[in-house]
Amino acid sequence: ATACETTLRSSDTHPDGYPTVIAVQEMGKLLEERTDGRLCIEVFPSAQLGEEKDTIEQTQFGVIDMLRVSMGPFNNIIEETQVVSLPYIFRSVDHMHKVMDGPIGDEILEAFSDHDLVGLAFYDGGSRSFYNSEKPITSMEDLAGMKFRVMQSDIFVDMVSALGANATPLPYGEVYSSIQTGVIDGAENNWPSYESSGHFEVAKYYTLDEHLIVPEVLVMSKSTWDGLSAEDQEIVRQAAKDSVPMMRELWAEREKESEAKVIEAGAEVVTDIDKTPFIEAMKPVYEKHVTSDTLKDLVERIQATE
Amino acid sequence: MERVARFTGIVARIGLWISGIGLVVMTAMIAAQVFFRYVLNNSLIWTEPGSIIVMGWFILLGAAVGIREGYHLSFEVLLYLLPDKVKLVLYSVSDLVVTAFGAGMVVYGWQLAAKTASVKLPSLGISGAWNFMPIIFGGALIVLFSLERLARRAAGLPTSRFGDAAEH
Amino acid sequence: MELWILFGSFAFLLLIGTPVAFCLGVSSFFTVLYMGLPPVVVFQRLNSGVSVFALMAIPFFIYAGELMVRGDIARRLVALAGAMVGHLKGGLGQVNILASCLFGGISGSAAADASAIGGLMIPQMEKRGYDTDYAVNVTVTSSIIALMLPPSHNLIIYSISAGGRLSIADLFTAGIVPGILLALSLMVAAWFVARSRGYPTEAFPGMRMLGALFVSAVPGLILVAIIFGGVRSGIFTASESSCIAVVYALLVTLVAYRSLKWRDFVEATLAAVRTTAMVLLVIGMAAAFGWLLAFLKVPASMVEFLQNFSDNPIVILLLINVSLLVLGTFMDMSPLIVITTPIFLPVAQAFGVDPVQFGIILILNLGIGLCTPPVGSVLFVGCAVGNIGIGQAMRTIWPFYFAAFGTLLLVTYVPALSLWLPAVFR
Ligand code: NA
Ligand code: NA
Repeated sequence: ATACETTLRSSDTHPDGYPTVIAVQEMGKLLEERTDGRLCIEVFPSAQLGEEKDTIEQTQFGVIDMLRVSMGPFNNIIEETQVVSLPYIFRSVDHMHKVMDGPIGDEILEAFSDHDLVGLAFYDGGSRSFYNSEKPITSMEDLAGMKFRVMQSDIFVDMVSALGANATPLPYGEVYSSIQTGVIDGAENNWPSYESSGHFEVAKYYTLDEHLIVPEVLVMSKSTWDGLSAEDQEIVRQAAKDSVPMMRELWAEREKESEAKVIEAGAEVVTDIDKTPFIEAMKPVYEKHVTSDTLKDLVERIQATE
Repeated sequence: MERVARFTGIVARIGLWISGIGLVVMTAMIAAQVFFRYVLNNSLIWTEPGSIIVMGWFILLGAAVGIREGYHLSFEVLLYLLPDKVKLVLYSVSDLVVTAFGAGMVVYGWQLAAKTASVKLPSLGISGAWNFMPIIFGGALIVLFSLERLARRAAGLPTSRFGDAAEH
Repeated sequence: MELWILFGSFAFLLLIGTPVAFCLGVSSFFTVLYMGLPPVVVFQRLNSGVSVFALMAIPFFIYAGELMVRGDIARRLVALAGAMVGHLKGGLGQVNILASCLFGGISGSAAADASAIGGLMIPQMEKRGYDTDYAVNVTVTSSIIALMLPPSHNLIIYSISAGGRLSIADLFTAGIVPGILLALSLMVAAWFVARSRGYPTEAFPGMRMLGALFVSAVPGLILVAIIFGGVRSGIFTASESSCIAVVYALLVTLVAYRSLKWRDFVEATLAAVRTTAMVLLVIGMAAAFGWLLAFLKVPASMVEFLQNFSDNPIVILLLINVSLLVLGTFMDMSPLIVITTPIFLPVAQAFGVDPVQFGIILILNLGIGLCTPPVGSVLFVGCAVGNIGIGQAMRTIWPFYFAAFGTLLLVTYVPALSLWLPAVFR
């Protein structure tokens, strides 16, 4: 990578070897080929340059050039991103792909440009489900009064409350011991995080309710983008798009590996649940958070997408 | 100079008291967090982000007062070998760069606050600019107290040294 | 070039007496300006560096310690330790070490231990015919125990510096066996020196007296049980336990003893603010410095350099230990934890060392650094309390250094000492 004229620095909170990290590195190889070594990418994994909120600001100020980040931290910055953080908005991963690969996805990417960022592509973030240390959860009644750790986000907190459970924000690093000792009953996450955090060791009941299917996003700093020629901008955009199919493949593999590993270790997966009452319970959450015309319109069109 | 010192003394006192109250408020918030979650089975969601902001105030104001009272960690081995005149020059160089850094806290803290002003903080519902207020205010106090040190030295008055047991 | 500016301006400012926190911040500021990066990043890192929930444990534990020293708790612990081991060879030396274990279980500060236990023990020891240098040496080296036994806010600083993903409960538990091992080896050293100098022992006061002293020390001892029991039974998390310690200290001193007056309360609060603002500012500034180290890929180069130097983990660990000991003689503990963790932890991990064990190695190593000149705040406190010169203390401290180094080597090369207990609790 040293032979490059310009090395773009890209941050990721996931460790080296994670699908998102590999995908951006692969995008870098494409860039290097297609620009004859004018541009390449160096990924700083494992949150070396800061947590998600920090690296978003760094990208906005042009301290770093690129960033792979989840959509959650953008919810309070860019209105359009809230729509993908709505519980049960996507019926399946395929549905999410269709929406994000189409005009709605382009519209959301475009919204980043008002915030000193350029949205390049959407990556997969898997689907998040509840897991706990107490019992297999098959219905809303089972959730009543249980304490679940969620990320600090108004939508997620309201979602857990609407399901009748107790939303308990905690730092990620304290979740394992907090489940173990009973400070909380469980948390929610995707297969790879459920596995890599070791939470399956202390919370073995995983209920596949897939309440959130939130894509992740690859963005570039506006100031870096403006420094590129129109031709290079096009190459960057294309290389980002071209990294998506490979990312999705890696992600699917990684999900399967994690799933197999936790089941091997004794995790109990509940798959036969009727999600209808869960989805119905989200009405007040939608009423509270989908208030603007922009969001209402996006929700309608996403629900209408086949 | 005497009057200036009396003024900065009052400012430092206020800063220290705000920090102390911050520490007590933090204690109350986290105790409430545990009480609500464990006893009432009703988790509070604002105490964690709220206490983090209080902590920012208490650290940065307390740290600024430390400039005046001289209770920061430092390393003064080389200085023992130097003549007093050189020492005084080096102390002033040190106070100058600290002043510059304090000014940086104000200027760049402001930039960060401006950039995040329209962001609403999760669970608190207040503007993201609040995150950076401690940096701005702490920076302003650091500038004030560092300039006071420079002025005192120029007037031939003593300044508290870092690493000494501070006189309160 | 960037690295020269970063480390050069850091070293220069350090030498001219700029507070360590500002050495870190200003050198990062200069370097970012030189590189033409937007300087906001330095101040954003400072802000994020002090906005970490787990950091809160530091002010809380220090605050609790201030309240307890001002209450009557430290004195009662010393009295209990006296009844327990005063009759052993080197009587009051052994008492001093055991008192540090008891006190260390409620405080995470070696300096607080040295001043609280030293203030009570050194005059007593002198009165009973012990040499002052011996009293100071025992006080100073045994205060490292407070860093090893939980709670230890330095381990929280380490966990944060390691990226915030290490379990604080695991780290706390990991320090117990090495802490006890350190106490035992210091007791052996105290025994040898006392025998060669012919120091007296105390009479055993009898079980009845021991019981009475135990009861009187119960409020202090209960705190350990409350913190451990509360965390283990899921009432609160490890970092919340620090706040419970403050609430408990307030309850005991205000309600049970009624020994804390309004003025003591204000003094304890302001003293805690001064200490913690100083420590936490260093951590915040080090976040900016550490960001630049990552941005300039220093840890990666360090791993590569050491891998080329040797592929033997024993050699590498020895090298890391020696570097830390040397750095520790010059600088204070918390800045060194935040500066060296991002550099040495990846190296240690590349050679297969568990990050929890590495934390214990680091704390013990830098703890020894607190007892060595030229910069050794605990040594200074001990000498000030005993009213002797540093040189005088240094001439006879060797047996105790020897015991501490021996423990360090054991902890470094026997991972089970640190990792066995956390695994039992898992
Ligand atoms: Na301790
Ligand atoms: Na001691």
